[in-house]
Amino acid sequence: MLIFSVFKTLTDQQVTVELKNDLSITGVLKSVDQFLNIRLDSIKVLDEARHPHMMAVKNCFIRGSVVRYVQLPSEHVDTQLLEDATRRESLAAVKR
Amino acid sequence: MSFFGFQENNLEEERQRIRDGGSHENEDVAVYTWGEESYDGLGDALQEGGDDFNDETFGGAGNVGKDFDFAGQASLLEPGLTHQKAANHALPSPAQSRLDPSPAHPIEQQSIWDDRSPFSALPRENGGASRFAERGERREPSTSQFSPFPESPVLHQPNASQTGARTLQDIEAEMRAAALQSRGASQRQQNALRIQQEEEQFLQDQAYQRQRLAFQREREQERELQLQALQRLQQQQVMQLREQPQHQRTPPPRMLPVSQSPRFLDQRQMMLLQQQQEEQQHQLRLQQELQEQLRMEELERQLRAQQISQLNQGPTHFNHRRQPSGPTIAELQALQQQQLHRRQRSQSPAYQDFNNIAPQNVQLQQRLLAELAQVEYMRDFQGATQAEQDALRAEAMRKIVEAEKMEDKRRKKAAKIAHMSRYNDLMTQSDKDFITRIQVSQLVTPDPYADDFYAQVYGAILRSRMGLQTQDERVLKFGTGGGISLGNTQKAATRRPNAMQRMEQQVERIVSNARRREEEKGLHSLHSLQGALGKTSGRSYKAAPRQLLQVDDNPSTSPTLAHAHPHISKEDATAWSSEGAAKEAAKLSRETLGNTGNVVRKDPLTHRQVLTTLEALYDLVLKVEHLRREQPQPEEEDASRQWQKEYDDLIELLWEGLKVMVPLETSNPHPFVSLLSPSKGKKLLPRLTRHIGSARMLTLMTLLVACFTQLDVVRQAPLLDVLEETAERAEVERQTQAFLGSVLQSILPIVANLELHVVTALLGLLIDRSQDIAAVAKTKPGLALLTLFLSRVEVIKQAWGTGAEPVDLMTAGAALEQQAVFDQFFVLITPHFLSLFPSSRITLQAHHPTSAALAIDIIDQPVWQFLAALALQAVPEQHQVLVTSLRDKVLENVLSANKGWVADEDERRTKLANVNLFLHALGLDSSQIAL
Repeated sequence: MLIFSVFKTLTDQQVTVELKNDLSITGVLKSVDQFLNIRLDSIKVLDEARHPHMMAVKNCFIRGSVVRYVQLPSEHVDTQLLEDATRRESLAAVKR
Repeated sequence: MSFFGFQENNLEEERQRIRDGGSHENEDVAVYTWGEESYDGLGDALQEGGDDFNDETFGGAGNVGKDFDFAGQASLLEPGLTHQKAANHALPSPAQSRLDPSPAHPIEQQSIWDDRSPFSALPRENGGASRFAERGERREPSTSQFSPFPESPVLHQPNASQTGARTLQDIEAEMRAAALQSRGASQRQQNALRIQQEEEQFLQDQAYQRQRLAFQREREQERELQLQALQRLQQQQVMQLREQPQHQRTPPPRMLPVSQSPRFLDQRQMMLLQQQQEEQQHQLRLQQELQEQLRMEELERQLRAQQISQLNQGPTHFNHRRQPSGPTIAELQALQQQQLHRRQRSQSPAYQDFNNIAPQNVQLQQRLLAELAQVEYMRDFQGATQAEQDALRAEAMRKIVEAEKMEDKRRKKAAKIAHMSRYNDLMTQSDKDFITRIQVSQLVTPDPYADDFYAQVYGAILRSRMGLQTQDERVLKFGTGGGISLGNTQKAATRRPNAMQRMEQQVERIVSNARRREEEKGLHSLHSLQGALGKTSGRSYKAAPRQLLQVDDNPSTSPTLAHAHPHISKEDATAWSSEGAAKEAAKLSRETLGNTGNVVRKDPLTHRQVLTTLEALYDLVLKVEHLRREQPQPEEEDASRQWQKEYDDLIELLWEGLKVMVPLETSNPHPFVSLLSPSKGKKLLPRLTRHIGSARMLTLMTLLVACFTQLDVVRQAPLLDVLEETAERAEVERQTQAFLGSVLQSILPIVANLELHVVTALLGLLIDRSQDIAAVAKTKPGLALLTLFLSRVEVIKQAWGTGAEPVDLMTAGAALEQQAVFDQFFVLITPHFLSLFPSSRITLQAHHPTSAALAIDIIDQPVWQFLAALALQAVPEQHQVLVTSLRDKVLENVLSANKGWVADEDERRTKLANVNLFLHALGLDSSQIAL
């Protein structure tokens, strides 16, 4: 739930999603759900020459399981808070 | 050449054989006997299709024109020809025999006319028995060289002349050939023919129209009535359609071919109904169009009829032309044009009829257009009703156009709705509820706040930063703490509130259901729904991700074990070496000094211990912060007391965890200093200060000052005096920034409230505890701390000066004491004035970029600030010392600024600002310096 929570705060921010098929899509994060499925808007693929079929695509829905990395905009992530959140989560995990 | 699949070589032989009167015993072809007396009449029983256009195609229709017959000879043949056609084929007509110079051929003639193949028109090469004629088709190919169509009748004409005296058949053949030729080959002739035809048809048409003219007015009236009725009907239908829900033609792609649900059947019925209605609409529209078209055609016809009648009646109407209200020629032409377009677009059946009578032709139309110019002459023919009709027509047109527009709009809208609602009602309400239940049950947690901690706090921080004081709940809570986090509800505001309410109710129901099930099933309620939406591999989202950091719970003290952990990052590894060195030093001091008093000497904390201690502290801080958020109302005394106790306990734990009260000499570095070495230790301090009381904070600060030289940022400060970018330097830089930003910031408010004697004591402590105060002053944190103390002293003294604080014996003593300490400090620092400047310590080399100079000037700034603070405290003799030792530095800066030995304006300004910072404290300014 932590990452879900983090992504929720990043809606309407520019993120880059790296997929497991080596496609890197930059776009505005519109929504994310608990499976970390991602909906991006006004997308742009990193290497357009290699993926010409993606040029016409303007928005997309990405199934969470095909995501390798998500590059977050650092200015919109509170690192200290993120640390705290992980601490809380690990605390909760220990409690269980 | 076997054009028709016949065997060529046989043909000649066969012919020869037949000519020789050969028998047809071994005839392999069926023998047909049309037109003969022996003809059994079976051919009439044949049903042949597709012959409708034969006449048009092969030119059987109409009279054969005479324009080919330039010599006028054909007229001689005409009676015979027509007669022949009309006559019984079996009998030779008298005309025929009269014209025919060779009466030996009657039978042959008959057979030729009997033969219906187009080849029969071709001249015979030779006379023959009736058999020949009967098998004309078989014989013909060989004689006419297999040309199935008479595209080259010229070829045959010599044949006719060869015979010398021309028989009737020959002449007829010639005629036909000419006719064919005129149709097939010569375009000019064809055009001429067609024009002729058209003229004929036009005449016919005129007659037809004259008839129609009589009915016309009647029909016009009728039509108006009809139109009105139609419009009414249409409006009704439109209304009906509006009332009805829009279910669509395109059925939703159901996976099941036949749904058992009655709802689906309903839908089917609805759809059928819809379809019917659409069809009705369509038909209605067609009707309308047809009507309109008919009307237009009628108009045209009328015009033409007028024209004709005018022509018939002669130019008697010329005198009263031009009615003012009537349409002009241009209008009529426009109308005509419009009509033409319409006609091209679509042709109503009625109009097609009309066209058949008068085939559409550009020439004709042009002629019509030209004739239309005369139309105005016959306006009076129609009389006064024309205007009326015009008005009515215009009205009707307007209505029709309007209705069409509306209809178009409606259709578009309906289509859009249809497209959008294609998937409507694909799921039943219970389906939807089921999905929602599962989705929500995944989201419902016993502690929504904790599970959505990041988003909640981030949102809170963001809101507070933006100054928004929205206190609406970000978490839906149910009963005893279960709930669902809403995260950023910025979007929820735009959603309809009743939707939110509905969801709330639903969630509430779901949660209560889940809870009931939990009671029934024990602890595994959540797992009861697992796999309900399909199997997922192994772990659910709930299962924590596999832990990659295997941090041991019971911290080991063995350094070898600690070393063995590979997960410790590189930056920590550099700390390790220094840690080790510190340990060595501590050991050494222990050996030399031995245990003094009851202080138990210990090894300094290992890096691992530091980290685990810090994590424990962070956990405590989180708990404390969480507790603070849940502070009960002061009215609830029991709860308040309980809470206060819990809170105090946690604070106590925190305080102990910080190890501030551990005796100074326990280790070097002191455990507290060790805790401050990682950046997260430094960052922890500001979060603690609001929970720890100021008395404790003073203790903490005293400890910090006492152990100042042990701090990593102080010890490793010399690394910053190089310009080369290395990982170590970057790390030190980062730590220094963290220290300045976190630790010093958190002690700043405490210093700002200190009494003079305390400041003096702290300054004295700093001087005592650090072997080399100058070395401390050369570090950024040290310089910052000293500046902090000095400025505090200055503030206190100013307050005395203005009388804001009463000067009594106590404070006077403190001031004396402070002066003594300051004097000591001044003496200690004096030899190092120049080396305080990073610019003096850093040797700028040629390969450094010019921006480095500016950077150095910027890092010089705190030093100038410190010197200014020093100058404010100093007595005049000390000023003397200050100025003499710093004279060179000041001059150098001013000189380079004024002489333009600087890279840019920024650097110059920075240099001057720095110098002025110091000079102003002495009551001087850089502009006073004469060079």
